[in-house]
Amino acid sequence: MALPYHLLKVCGSTVFAAQGSDIHSFSSALEYISTWKYPVHIADEANVPSTEAQDSPAPEGPPAKRRKMDGGKESASNGQPKSKKAAQYIVPANERPFVQGLYATTDGCHLVAITGSDKTIWVFEHDGRGNLKLLSQRAMPKRPCSLTLTPDNHTILSADKFGDVYALPLLQSTTTTTPPTSDPIVVAPLPKSRSATPSTPAAPSTPTPLLLKPQGNELTVHTKRNLKALENQKISMDRNSKAQQDQLNGAAHDVVVFEHTLLLGHVSMLTAICIGTTSGSREYIITADRDEHIRVSRGMPQAHVIEGFCLGHEDFVSRLCVAPGGKARILISGGGDDDLFVWDWARGQLLGKAGVLEHVRRAVVAVEGEASTTKVAVSRVFGCRWEGATGVFVVVERVPALFRYELLEDNTLCHRETIPLPGNVLDVEMIEASGVAPPRLLVAVDPGASAEGLSSSSSLILLDKEEAGWRQSNVENLPAGADVNISTKELQKILYSTETLRKSSDFD
Amino acid sequence: MGGDKIKKDKRQKREDYRAAMRSQEGISELPRKKFYRQRAHANPFSDHQLIYPPHPDQMDWSSLYPDYVVDDEPQDQHTPAPETPSDQQDLAPLRPKRISKDVEVADIGCGFGGLLIALGPTMPETLILGLEIRVSVTQFVEDRIKALRAQDQDTKLYRNVGVLRANTMKFLPNFFRKGQLAKVFICFPDPHFKTRKHKQRIVSTTLNAEYAYVLRPGGVVYTITDVPDLHEWMVQHLDAHPSFERVSEAEQEADPCVAIMRTETEEGKKVERHKGQKYVALFKRLEDPAW
Ligand SMILES: C[S@@+](CC[C@H](N)C(=O)[O-])C[C@H]1O[C@@H](n2cnc3c(N)ncnc32)[C@H](O)[C@@H]1O
Repeated sequence: MALPYHLLKVCGSTVFAAQGSDIHSFSSALEYISTWKYPVHIADEANVPSTEAQDSPAPEGPPAKRRKMDGGKESASNGQPKSKKAAQYIVPANERPFVQGLYATTDGCHLVAITGSDKTIWVFEHDGRGNLKLLSQRAMPKRPCSLTLTPDNHTILSADKFGDVYALPLLQSTTTTTPPTSDPIVVAPLPKSRSATPSTPAAPSTPTPLLLKPQGNELTVHTKRNLKALENQKISMDRNSKAQQDQLNGAAHDVVVFEHTLLLGHVSMLTAICIGTTSGSREYIITADRDEHIRVSRGMPQAHVIEGFCLGHEDFVSRLCVAPGGKARILISGGGDDDLFVWDWARGQLLGKAGVLEHVRRAVVAVEGEASTTKVAVSRVFGCRWEGATGVFVVVERVPALFRYELLEDNTLCHRETIPLPGNVLDVEMIEASGVAPPRLLVAVDPGASAEGLSSSSSLILLDKEEAGWRQSNVENLPAGADVNISTKELQKILYSTETLRKSSDFD
Repeated sequence: MGGDKIKKDKRQKREDYRAAMRSQEGISELPRKKFYRQRAHANPFSDHQLIYPPHPDQMDWSSLYPDYVVDDEPQDQHTPAPETPSDQQDLAPLRPKRISKDVEVADIGCGFGGLLIALGPTMPETLILGLEIRVSVTQFVEDRIKALRAQDQDTKLYRNVGVLRANTMKFLPNFFRKGQLAKVFICFPDPHFKTRKHKQRIVSTTLNAEYAYVLRPGGVVYTITDVPDLHEWMVQHLDAHPSFERVSEAEQEADPCVAIMRTETEEGKKVERHKGQKYVALFKRLEDPAW
């Protein structure tokens, strides 16, 4: 099956577009330049030195197909490590993880990508003309859900599925060996921290003896409740030590060997992270979670101080957008609620709301003749300068339209128009044209969801605003994507994952 | 099969008992624990059917502390929501009935409520709240408070203690504003021995930031446990957090809450019976550094 383009990022004068696990680059006139392909072979170590980095464009043609080693009983009898992780390092083309996030430094010199199932952050050097050179790949302890770069472009802040935010240097220094740790508790740069990180880099041969030491014994545990917990621990330790032994015999892929610092954490899956800057040029880290919270913490090195929360959402928050153009104290958030929320984030104050569901229903009526939609999952909130004002473009999952809002001088957020499109919108970016030409929008759509199907319509559509309305043109001459063996169901699961953040109501 | 039947009968009995306890107003008979048992652990990561306000301003404290209700704008409670809510009304949701004081003391994972009941009369001017994730344990404490209040009609004791079902690891900021609390108790928390489960521990570097958020500068976190490794863990993690500073032993022993915490919680009593050790550590919330 040919895959749609599902992620867009403008980086300097280049447009990057992800399709499955590939990243294509285009000029700002949308002429195809090159493709970076997810490597089929990943070196044994999670941390690939840049000497092994692969240059782009990658050799054309589908990579040789390889069978994934069975992580189950069979491999155990072969004497192979039982760990599923170990098997993951030979990846058949159709099982390569999708690119789940694309980010660019403000100077356009680096592109950062997240791939999903392998929990990896990729940093590329961008030559300014659409060519990528892989500098590093870092497999995180938990799956990164969203990341942002500090304004100085030095640091990546990665927000993960487990609720934690890690800081990683964008560029890994080659001279110093960075102390690794698999235990997040000791990595925070807390001044009084009793134990700093271990000083030796964890080689695969460094076991973690702590895991094998029971915490408490029958003499130190007095209550039935705790005794039971201790018993359980012993049972699981017997199991664990076996697994650990297995792991030590194989490569210890779980050990994270690059510098990463735990900054803060929620006890909830993080969905979005961004940086807010106040007029005093102080930086704040703004994080959103599946449990309706938006948290405002101080920037580094005081990220352990929570300044406040923006509370009011009643369903998950999936997207955050600090308003552009001199409105940096305004935050717009969206998620599973019927409305977008407008905040003065530094004060934690709700300024207003703007309906989404009502406009989605209208758009759906226009297409289907009736409005069956009762809830929305906002999957993009994209702010930019638009016709001399602050424009906010909103994408809603599984809706074939783009919604344009405007943030007025008094910070009211107003719906301005709904732009119907031939397929569900997956992403949107603005392409600044040179000279006096007005900016254009680039939209990634899922043509699979439209009646015409993929053959007749493109997955990348340019939108030009003209007197009479929007002119839509398909981007032509897209590189032929690899034919990926993935079921429609699987693909949909990856492309439309926002709605899954909603809580089902049948838990106790 | 037989086992199932017995289980069912027991459950039915428990339910009947609890329903009876709850149907009678002003009942002064203390609830019996055996009718409120529940599975020992609730997973703090999963989505329980929890009720919590989206924002602390929307929290209705009136049913927990009815003696403290101030009845200005009594009409608020009765105005039905408008049919077509305009944006403005949406922003200012119906205000719950106000109470004259804010909760200032929280007992996190209060269990069967021994600490609340003992603390209440020692600080009658302060509102104290127990937070507990297990439903029936919370119900037990509710019924216990109700009964005690009914018993002490004249003295008006226990009017300042309340209990809520909540997952404190996720929703503390939904109930308390920044700096609202003066004391947070964490008594005999579940040890979560497994390393894999350390993020489930109620004290961790990242969660400590939330305790610092709800505590005012000068406020205190009280911890006690009988598990030496957990004690060490809590001390290490609170010590490592720049917002907290360990309280000296002299100051600790002079604090009357410490004695109560040692002897009055249900877990503390169990440890006592087993002649076990108890490890105490207090931490003061410091002012945030200049920024
Ligand atoms: C060992 S008991 C101690 C009870 C009481 N503090 C005492 O000392 O007797 C720990 C209690 O914390 C509760 N608990 C655990 N995680 C919690 C959470 N995330 N939110 C609220 N309560 C929690 C458990 O249900 C349990 O009742």
